[in-house]
This record gives sequence, C-alpha cells and structure tokens, in this order.
Amino acid sequence: MESRILKPALGLYVALFVLFLYGPFVVLTIISFQQGPEGGPQFPIIEWSTYWYRHIFGLTPPSRIAPLPFGEALLRSLVLAFMTMVVSTVLGVMSAQAFRRKFKGSGVVFYLIVLGMMVPGVLTGLGTSLLANNVIGIERHWYTTAFATHVAYTFPFAFLVMLAILNRFDASVEEASWSLGVDPWTTFRKVTFPLIFPGVLSAMLFAFTLSLDEFPRTLFASGRDQTLPLAIYGTFSVEIHPNIFAFGVLTTLFSFALLSVYGLLMAMSVRRARKMAMQEDIA
Amino acid sequence: MDTSVFRLDGVTKRYGDLVALDNASLEAGANEYISFLGPSGSGKTTLLRVIAGFEAPEAGRVFFNGRDITNLPAHERGIGFVFQNFALFPHLTVIQNVGFGLTHGKSGLSAAEIERRSLEMIELVGLSGMEGRGVDQISGGQRQRVALARTLTMHPKLVLLDEPLGALDANLRSRMRTELRAIRERLGVTFVHVTGSENEALAMGDRVVVLDRGRIIQTGTPGEVYDSPASPDVAHFLNRFNLFDGNLSGGRFNGVFGSVPVPRSVRSDRDVYAVRYDRMRALPVSADAAGPAIKARFVASEYLGSSMMNFFEAEDGHVIEMEHHLSLGTPQTFEARQDYLLTWNPEQAIVFGREASR
Repeated sequence: MESRILKPALGLYVALFVLFLYGPFVVLTIISFQQGPEGGPQFPIIEWSTYWYRHIFGLTPPSRIAPLPFGEALLRSLVLAFMTMVVSTVLGVMSAQAFRRKFKGSGVVFYLIVLGMMVPGVLTGLGTSLLANNVIGIERHWYTTAFATHVAYTFPFAFLVMLAILNRFDASVEEASWSLGVDPWTTFRKVTFPLIFPGVLSAMLFAFTLSLDEFPRTLFASGRDQTLPLAIYGTFSVEIHPNIFAFGVLTTLFSFALLSVYGLLMAMSVRRARKMAMQEDIA
Repeated sequence: MDTSVFRLDGVTKRYGDLVALDNASLEAGANEYISFLGPSGSGKTTLLRVIAGFEAPEAGRVFFNGRDITNLPAHERGIGFVFQNFALFPHLTVIQNVGFGLTHGKSGLSAAEIERRSLEMIELVGLSGMEGRGVDQISGGQRQRVALARTLTMHPKLVLLDEPLGALDANLRSRMRTELRAIRERLGVTFVHVTGSENEALAMGDRVVVLDRGRIIQTGTPGEVYDSPASPDVAHFLNRFNLFDGNLSGGRFNGVFGSVPVPRSVRSDRDVYAVRYDRMRALPVSADAAGPAIKARFVASEYLGSSMMNFFEAEDGHVIEMEHHLSLGTPQTFEARQDYLLTWNPEQAIVFGREASR
C-alpha cells in the first residue's frame, strides 16, 4: 500500500539526485565539444568538434585565445600530490603502528594528529603563511610551506585508515615470524606489510586525491607558483572558453583511471585478506 | 641437571592488578614432553608466551640451553611456537610457509638447500603433494601440520604448543596426538604443550604441570598426578573426583557421609575428601552400607562409549558422579528421581587436611 507511493517517490528522488550530481559534468562534457575558436561556453552547439581538446595540447593554429597556462601548474600539482601521498602514507603507517601498544600520552597524541583534518583550511593556510613570512622568515613555495600544510591535512586520513586496518590485524602471525628467527623489521616487510597492503592503498588514494585538489591551504601557503586548482581559479576571473571544460573532462578521466588502478590492486589484495579471514574463522 | 633444556626461576607476570604468573619455577630436560594443565585464566598461556619471549616477566629469570634469555628478543631465542589458531602466513603457499624461517632468518642457506629441507619436513608431516597450495586451500588438520612443519624446519630444541589441538575435531585430535609423539621421538625435541583438557594432558605428557591462578601447584608424571593429586584443586581440575567438604580430626574424617577412619592423608590448607568417579558404588536405599554412605537421588546418565556416567544429586544439592566401565559388565540401571545409597571403600579415598599424616 504505502510502498506503492513511497517507492516510486524515493526512486524519483534518487534519480533527481543523481541528475543533480552528474548534470554539471554532462553539460561540461557536451560544451567541451563546441566548435572553435568562435564557439563559446554556451548552447546551442554550433558544430561538434574536438577543437578545444587540440587547443589544450597546442595543436591548433594560433588564435586570439591563449592556450591554458596549466602545463606547469598540472605538473606541480601532480608532483606535490605524489610527495604528499608518500610522506603521509609512511607517517600514517608508522604512527598507526605505534598506536598498537598503549603508551603514555597516546590519547593526547591521537587528538593532535586528528586535529590536522579538523582545523579549517583557511586558518592553516593563513597561519602557515604568517609563520613563514613573519616568524621564521622563509619564502613560501608549493614544495615547502604548501607541502607542509598538505601533509598536515592528509596525514590524519592516512593515520585513521591504517588504525582501522591494524585494529583488526591478528598479531599472532607476527609472533609466529619472530619465533621462526625472523627479526622484527623483516617480519614487518614480509608479513605485516603484505597483509595490511589494502589499507595502505586506501591511505595512498586518500592522500593523493585530497592533495591534488586542495585549495584553501594552498591559496595562502604556496607563494608565487600556482598549483592546478589555483591556476584554474585564476582563469575564471578573465574569460571562460570551452577549453577549460575540455580540460575538466580530461582530469576527470584521469581520476577514473586512478580509481581503476586502485580497484584492481584492491581486488588483488582483498583476495589475500579473504584467505586471512578464513584462517581466523577456523581458529 | 646436565640435560636441562630450559629452566624458569621465580617468574612473575602481572597485567595491572591481575597476577598472571606468581613465582613460577620449573625445569625441563631434553627430549621431554611436558603438558601444562589448568583452567582458563590459570596463566598457562602467559607462561608459554614468557618462555617464547612475547611477554617480559616483571621478576624472575628464564634460562634456555644454559643461557639466561630473560632479556633476549623472541627472534633470537630459537624456541619454536605453535599457535592455537596456527597463525599461518595467509599470503604464502604451504612450502613458503614451511621455509619462511630459513628464507628470511639468519640461516644463510641457499634457495636450493632451503627447498630441500622444506620438502623433507613437508614429507615428515605427511603433506607431500600440497607444497604449492595456498594455506586456505587445505583442511584444518593440514594447517595444523603446516604450522608444526614450519616450526620444526628451524630445528628448535624446544617447541611450545599453545592448545594446538583445540581447533581440531575429536577424530583428528587423537590422530595428531599420536603423530606429535612420533615426530618428537624422531627429532628429539622437548615439547611443552598447553592444554585445558585433562585427558590430553594425561595422555601426552611425560610430565604434567598443573597451574592454578598463576601458580604451579603440582608437577609429576601423569600417573602420579592422577593417583595422588597434591591438593583439592588439582583433584578438581582432573575432573575425575567427587569432592566432599568436611572436617579431619583425630584420624577420622567427618562429612555428610558420616565419620570415616582415614589411614593416611595429604597436607592441605582445607579439609577435603576425594573419591574417584569409578570407585563409587550405588546400593538400594534400604541396604546397609558397611562403610561411608550418602543418600542421593538419581538424575541422569551419559553414555561415553567405553563407560557410563551416572549423575546423582545429594540432599544438599551437591552433584555426585559415578563412572561404570563397561568392560566390567552390564551397568546397573537406575530409576529417575529415585533415591539410592552411594558408598565406596574408604581405603581408596584420597583425603586432604590441615591435620595430615604426610
């Protein structure tokens, strides 16, 4: 009775929600195939073309529209995201490993770490910039001050992911390895790490994607050279052409590619984790 | 002792306020099979973990091969450990599990030599043909053997087993019991086996160590422990005795069953009268028992294959068990909720008391 009305209503709601979620992306994709260089970022489509995609890569004859100044910014952002990913994941794994045993002040340290993801980004960015300029007296760069804010922001995510993974980890396999005469470091490399690898992957993905499109912290802390989100924001204040949309489509495709790699690696290590779980069931 | 493999000297371990081990001392010789028996929480697993080096004791020393290893990390001890849940490496195959210690430890052996020794050990535990399988593709009993083989490839002088048979079904358990003994006799290793099962402890051990609340309360051969438990607690863990409270004075024990002369008794901090289940006899309630007797109501019986257990309830609610070995003939049949007179030969009772003759 009730579900005859409720179910279609909820279905419609979800459909609208999905439309709202993906609508902008669909519009963006359509407009990115606008004819160029005369066609603007609006309907109707004068003529379908890949002009703006070629424009991004500088494959079109020179026109009054300047190529997007994204090349360097994109490279910077990728390098920054990679650096952040490596450092945050290593720190996250190490600190979560430390939290497996209770130590004095562990509660305080826990909140200090997690604070990094709670504090508003604008404050962190502004604070870092003031600290660098007025207190320490160093220049701000994307690879120094901005990098520090990115790590402070993404490290808690990596830490929490690893904490959840290690909470469920059965330490007896490590003890078994020690009792076979294998030292703790080799045990970590050969036993612990392979078994927590799905968690490490998730931590890496978190850190990379959070860093790649980080805006407020970077805005204040990065200094002269811009990262990609800042560069994109910068072009909005001038004039908008469909090349930005074409660029958006390409970055989205890149994200999907990244997610597919993650999914693939995950599926491989989940198979392993299932073996582990089966072993625990027997016990 | 020249042949001593390991020795515990006043080992004490606390978890907060809880005393897990209280001044435990013990010595084990080469090629011995020792069983630790105790209820859960008695400290037997903690003791094993202290010997293995997974836990550090607050006080006392641990010696192994004549060396003080109290402060040595687990991976430098050379003591094998077989876990209750086997703790196999789930990401490795059977042969990789078995060769793990040789491959990643300090053995310095060539890959070919490691493979040869691993295969040899896999054959010893009867797993030939399974080398390449993942550890999730084999049965529980086979996993148990991989865990054992993995430990034995390192040629340890001492192997600690933490309830390794607990995860197996009854049939496999008795087979593994036989195999464990056979493997040990072939390799000349000292085994220390922790178990909560009195049958397992009595069957497997050359020596049984009984633990209670972190203290070692008796050490002896299975026969000694079975026939002359050192305290009422040991008698209780063996799960083979009816225990009666009462009062021992002037060579007589006064309990619910009357006053009985006691030819000999064991010193203890309380007065307890113990009668083995298979020493009990049941008479009609009207009969005249020459010795001690107690009136009890028949509750139920349990068929155990080789024997029959009968349960009676005394007037004070105390449950009294009586075992009848079927090899001695057809068991008596009892009627439910009927009263019977239970009696025994006082010569065969074990009496504990503050006023003891020895």
